[in-house]
Amino acid sequence: MATVLWLHGGACNGNTMSFLNAEYPSVCDLVTDFGIEILWHPSAGLEMGNQVQALLKDILAEKIPLDIFVFEGTVVLGPNGTGRYNMFAGRPMKDWVYELAHVAKYVVAVGNCACHGNIPAVPPNPTESTGLQFHKTKKGGFLGEHFVSRGGLPVINIPGCPAHYDWITQVLVALAVGRAKDIQLDEYQRPLTFFKTFSQTGCTRVQFHEWKISAEEFGQGTRKGCLFYELGCRGPLTHAPCNRILWNGVSSKQRSGHPCIGCTEFAFPWFDLAPGTIFKTQKVAGVMPKESVYEVDKFTYMLHAVTARIAAPKWATEDIFVV
Amino acid sequence: MATKQHLVIDPLARLEGDVRADVFVEDGHVVDVQVEAVMFRGFEIILRGKDPLAGLIVTPRVCGICGGSHLYKACQAIDTAWRTEVPPNAWHIRNIAQACETLQSVPRWYYAIFAIDFVNKNYAKSKLYDEVVKRWAPFVGTSYKIGLEISALPVKVYAMFGGQWPHSSFMVPGGVMCAPQLDHITRAYALLERYRTEWLEKVWLGCSVDRWLENKTWDDVLKWLDESESHRNSDCGLFIRFCLENGLDKYGAGVNAFLACGSYIDPEFYPVSTIEGRNQALQSPSGVVYNGKYYVFDQMNVREDITHSYFEGSSLLHPWEGETVPLDPEVAKKQGKYSWAKSPRYLIDGKPVPLEAGPLARQVVAGYEEAKSACPAAGRIEHGIDPLFKNIVSKIGPSVMVRVLARMHEAVKYYKWVKEWLAKVDFKDDRFYKKPKELPEGKGYGGTEAARGALQDWIVIENGKIKNYQIVTPTAWNIGPRDSKGQMGPIEKAIVGAPIKNPEDPIEVAHVARSFDSCLVCTVHVYDRKRGKELARYKLGTFK
Repeated sequence: MATVLWLHGGACNGNTMSFLNAEYPSVCDLVTDFGIEILWHPSAGLEMGNQVQALLKDILAEKIPLDIFVFEGTVVLGPNGTGRYNMFAGRPMKDWVYELAHVAKYVVAVGNCACHGNIPAVPPNPTESTGLQFHKTKKGGFLGEHFVSRGGLPVINIPGCPAHYDWITQVLVALAVGRAKDIQLDEYQRPLTFFKTFSQTGCTRVQFHEWKISAEEFGQGTRKGCLFYELGCRGPLTHAPCNRILWNGVSSKQRSGHPCIGCTEFAFPWFDLAPGTIFKTQKVAGVMPKESVYEVDKFTYMLHAVTARIAAPKWATEDIFVV
Repeated sequence: MATKQHLVIDPLARLEGDVRADVFVEDGHVVDVQVEAVMFRGFEIILRGKDPLAGLIVTPRVCGICGGSHLYKACQAIDTAWRTEVPPNAWHIRNIAQACETLQSVPRWYYAIFAIDFVNKNYAKSKLYDEVVKRWAPFVGTSYKIGLEISALPVKVYAMFGGQWPHSSFMVPGGVMCAPQLDHITRAYALLERYRTEWLEKVWLGCSVDRWLENKTWDDVLKWLDESESHRNSDCGLFIRFCLENGLDKYGAGVNAFLACGSYIDPEFYPVSTIEGRNQALQSPSGVVYNGKYYVFDQMNVREDITHSYFEGSSLLHPWEGETVPLDPEVAKKQGKYSWAKSPRYLIDGKPVPLEAGPLARQVVAGYEEAKSACPAAGRIEHGIDPLFKNIVSKIGPSVMVRVLARMHEAVKYYKWVKEWLAKVDFKDDRFYKKPKELPEGKGYGGTEAARGALQDWIVIENGKIKNYQIVTPTAWNIGPRDSKGQMGPIEKAIVGAPIKNPEDPIEVAHVARSFDSCLVCTVHVYDRKRGKELARYKLGTFK
């Protein structure tokens, strides 16, 4: 039994839409099987509006215990720190967030916006958006570097643009069944159980990566080859379980020929979307990927690459995911 | 003596942002309203100076509900700027994915957002109330659960081609990133069949999709209703009976003028991506219907009015020239501005008019024979030209009921269309992408029909980066504030005249707003201005 309050700040609702795709457990299962009481949710909640205002006040007065405060979207501070670009129930949303975070047992940031500001915080950051406890890669964010919720944890960050439903539901269940102590967090406060491995872990194209065989272009070429060398895939550099816990239960970006865009990392969107950086691998001297996954010097890398390519088996250049 | 009541509805939430409405009631009817969008995120400002492809990453994140639709039109905006040649297979895959997003949206919206209002205690006296509660109560209703869970299936089809839903970026200028295999196609069929058998026919229609599609007029629909118990007892049958019993067919008309920018390209009509050639290739036709007359849609006639929006100035610009300079709402209010939404308008004989976007608009436009000549591709696909809703609107007028029915009708059509496009994917012509030449200069336009209506991007590329980017959403068409001539947008207009049976619980306002699917999950907060104190609380989903 745990109470959950879910609010939207500068949000697109993508994390909620992802959450509604949940399967094991489904959103209905969370309520009926795990006794999770959703005090309010902007899309799926029962009680709304003025009832919500009354509810929020009761939570702040600690008449209703708040076990888990889930926040989706950025904390909007603009213009000039007033928060008036994002009003909610007659008041800047940021004021509700600050007070609720301080009475909740656990605070969960769902999705990149709540984690670190994400796209709205890309320069020039017109809304003065930031994340709950990070601004991009820098710790601090809206609640400050030292914030710890009443349950003894900092903000639990579930990044991703959006976060996968399974990452959200499993964390909610873990908190609801009293396993908060087992949630280990990394330096960006992401649960290690999901974010220790890479997006490449489990990728069906990893054999091509090893043999340094590249996909040349989108579409036809992507039944074969690795997307890392030319098409900007960040799979080997991104902490995420997208190829272990498939999207919508059926696929992942790489499986569909889509390079990983590194959306669980706090520097997303990479290079602030500067010209020439999207779906194109950044290279040194037009050859070597600028960001290497191998901690070796340039010469050793090139030697390894050439050798691997020469030794590559015939199938590595063929279409192995055939019609 | 009649007293005018001021109802403050705050929050009148949208799914991707919140809305506040000030409603004035006299003699049991709404006489005036102002709708305020209360959140700003500045995506168009962020896009300036960025990579031309940034729209593919950024605009799906404008709205996680219509992210695939944002991708479709963002991609098309660059396609037209670069004049790409998109292989037929890629167009079919884009169409399949885009339509699956809408197939997802229909049950998810109906059960999670719309129908829970009928559980409101205001309807306790309805003889259908017990049945409505049994089926549509949130989380525990029998149809609610199946509707929510079935909605996750069409987006599995999306994910097979796009890697994930929401927030994929798999459509790129020149085609798509994926190169599907046979098993993706076969699984897609299986998922669609489950959608049809478990929900669309069994729960929603109580008949085959083909039987429903025989309905060409409002009289046909009424006959269908009486034809069998399974029709009457289906969720669709119950919805119609509930609406007729409670007068939901009598209010919420709006501006009774419609816009569809069209969608779903037939590649046979579109060898090169151009703005001019787009109308011809649309299988879901474009068009504007104003005063009952059809006009060929031309994006050059779109304007954005910001007289009452929280942006600097009061311009009426075409989106290529569009400006987005935000103001502090506290300052802007003093200039008579009251919303973050802009007010898109369409020029008819040089006069800017407000238009309704959405499924009803699409279906009304699709009813005009002229649409067939403007968009010949629509005449080639089954039910591309479809007389049903033009007939319904001419017979009983637009209303909350009719708007919802149009949305549900599309699930049937799109189910058929997706199967047709799946059949057209040709592995012998094994191309899903043709690498385009990335032109450093150009202007592009991309449009599509999101579940909620016409969704369009305008891009100006200069020196290999974005000089200007403007997004015009269906929500803006519908929810935008008054324009410089004081003309209300469709939602404001539709709320005016709505009967308020119980001012302490004005559920009718919520029905109207939600029938447009502008993501309105709302609660009404009622104040008596004279006494300055709260009169009543209005709560949604009182069933527990």
